[in-house]
Amino acid sequence: MGRVNDDKWLDEALTGAIGSDDTQPDFGKWKANHPEAVEELTSRTPHTQRPPVIRRIRMNNMFIKLAAAAVIAVAGIIGVTQLMQPKAPEAPTTALIVAKTLTGPMTHTFEDGSTVTIGANASIRTYGEAGKRGFEHLTGAIDVTVAKGQGEFVVTTPYGDVKALGTEFTLDLVDGVAETGETVQLLQVQVTEGKVEVSNAKGKRTLGATQNIIVETDNAPYDFSQDENLPERLRERIQAMVAAFEAGDPAAWAANFNINYVFKLGKGQVEYDPLLFGGSKEDAERLQEMLKDIESPEQLSQLFLSSVNLTEPIKIYVRSVELSADGNHARAACVRRKSQSHLVLTRPQWHCFDNDWWQIDD
Amino acid sequence: MRIESQEQSDAVLVEAAQGGHLDSFGALYQRYHNPIVALAYAQLGDRHAAEDAAQEAFAVACRDLTSLRSRTKFGAWLGGICRNVTRQMLRTRNRPVPPADEPGQERGPEREEQSDAVRRAVWKLPESERELIVMRYFNGFSQAKISQVLDMTPSAVNGRLVRAKRKVAEFLKRDGFGS
Repeated sequence: MGRVNDDKWLDEALTGAIGSDDTQPDFGKWKANHPEAVEELTSRTPHTQRPPVIRRIRMNNMFIKLAAAAVIAVAGIIGVTQLMQPKAPEAPTTALIVAKTLTGPMTHTFEDGSTVTIGANASIRTYGEAGKRGFEHLTGAIDVTVAKGQGEFVVTTPYGDVKALGTEFTLDLVDGVAETGETVQLLQVQVTEGKVEVSNAKGKRTLGATQNIIVETDNAPYDFSQDENLPERLRERIQAMVAAFEAGDPAAWAANFNINYVFKLGKGQVEYDPLLFGGSKEDAERLQEMLKDIESPEQLSQLFLSSVNLTEPIKIYVRSVELSADGNHARAACVRRKSQSHLVLTRPQWHCFDNDWWQIDD
Repeated sequence: MRIESQEQSDAVLVEAAQGGHLDSFGALYQRYHNPIVALAYAQLGDRHAAEDAAQEAFAVACRDLTSLRSRTKFGAWLGGICRNVTRQMLRTRNRPVPPADEPGQERGPEREEQSDAVRRAVWKLPESERELIVMRYFNGFSQAKISQVLDMTPSAVNGRLVRAKRKVAEFLKRDGFGS
């Protein structure tokens, strides 16, 4: 076996394992296999660049000349008559529209004035149907501003549909694999202004300004802030956790924890309770060992803050929250996204004691 | 002394192709075909499927070329299309697995075992690092070419490649390869 720290050995091993023969791209074959795409590109040739087609009509015979003059005169009379008549409303025509995939980063403006800002790694497909407002959201995060007063605007996604009327909202499609190997596929809908209706096969929800919701194929759209089964204070705590992560603010995150309780537990001043602490008894014993030199909750708070690895904004998606039968314990299923492809599944807990809801574990 | 580039820039080719000039699109195809196959391979772990994905990515690019505003960013735009195509393909099948040895490559058993271990290590990397490693070693693309498709600076490519290689070395050590 080679020495993995030897750069040359590693280069050779990687080339041997991944390397490919340098195949010559065959554009001719590609063209033959994709005539529609080729036709679409070549049909864009500006008309001014096309050679003009001139047809000369020979009119040698007097009879033909007279007939042509008569036709021109009749056409002229009809034209003038039509110009003088009030214009009748135009019959609806079926315009031919080609659906297009748009990939970010870019901003696209629709005919009705609605706009979509497509982020990097995001994409949409426009509808190939005249008069239909909206589009298909394929991947990534997008911001949508819908022009008011022109009817229904629908965005379809793999996990549900979003219907809006004169509003601004953000859609964030997550499709990846978490560190632990689970597939994560969800849509987050966040409303900036107005209202949207979010629906999939499992249910329907209406969202107002500043609200957001998680949509997954196998579950009804879920918004913990609208979950009336959860105590209001618990919802505030969950929101505080989300906001702290999204702001990259370790102090705001640490404020959700009951440092006094952890200090007392570390000093043996309260009994170990798995429901409140979240960890095992061995974890609690390790905590006592760790805190032997800590003299106050304030000092523990400083230690806690210095150990929090939250240096940049992290997106959190709260997929569901379960409340225990006695209503004093809750556990959420969350996805934490550090970057486009770095997904971590977390199960934070909150417990109601010492007259408040406290986060214990993440 | 004035040195002029012999190659037309991406922006010039894109502009001509947007006007309907097929040969200009062909030049872009020649320029980006192999890097896009490599990018697709990093997602799919299958060389034949990666070739199919690249073909489809160029078809989408050909149809939608007028939507590209930053003509100098053609490589990154095409890379984004390629990722979308591979994601759509992955939705209809299982997630990528570390690819098996390629048929037709004759190697000794020890060499085969080594290549398998290296591929397993590369596929343990996060997607962004796996893309870098695969693009670098698939066809030996330059940092400049990789930076065009992955939309990052060549120096960022260099730094991230070094870190990704360190991780591969770590994974290999854990798999029992001597240090």
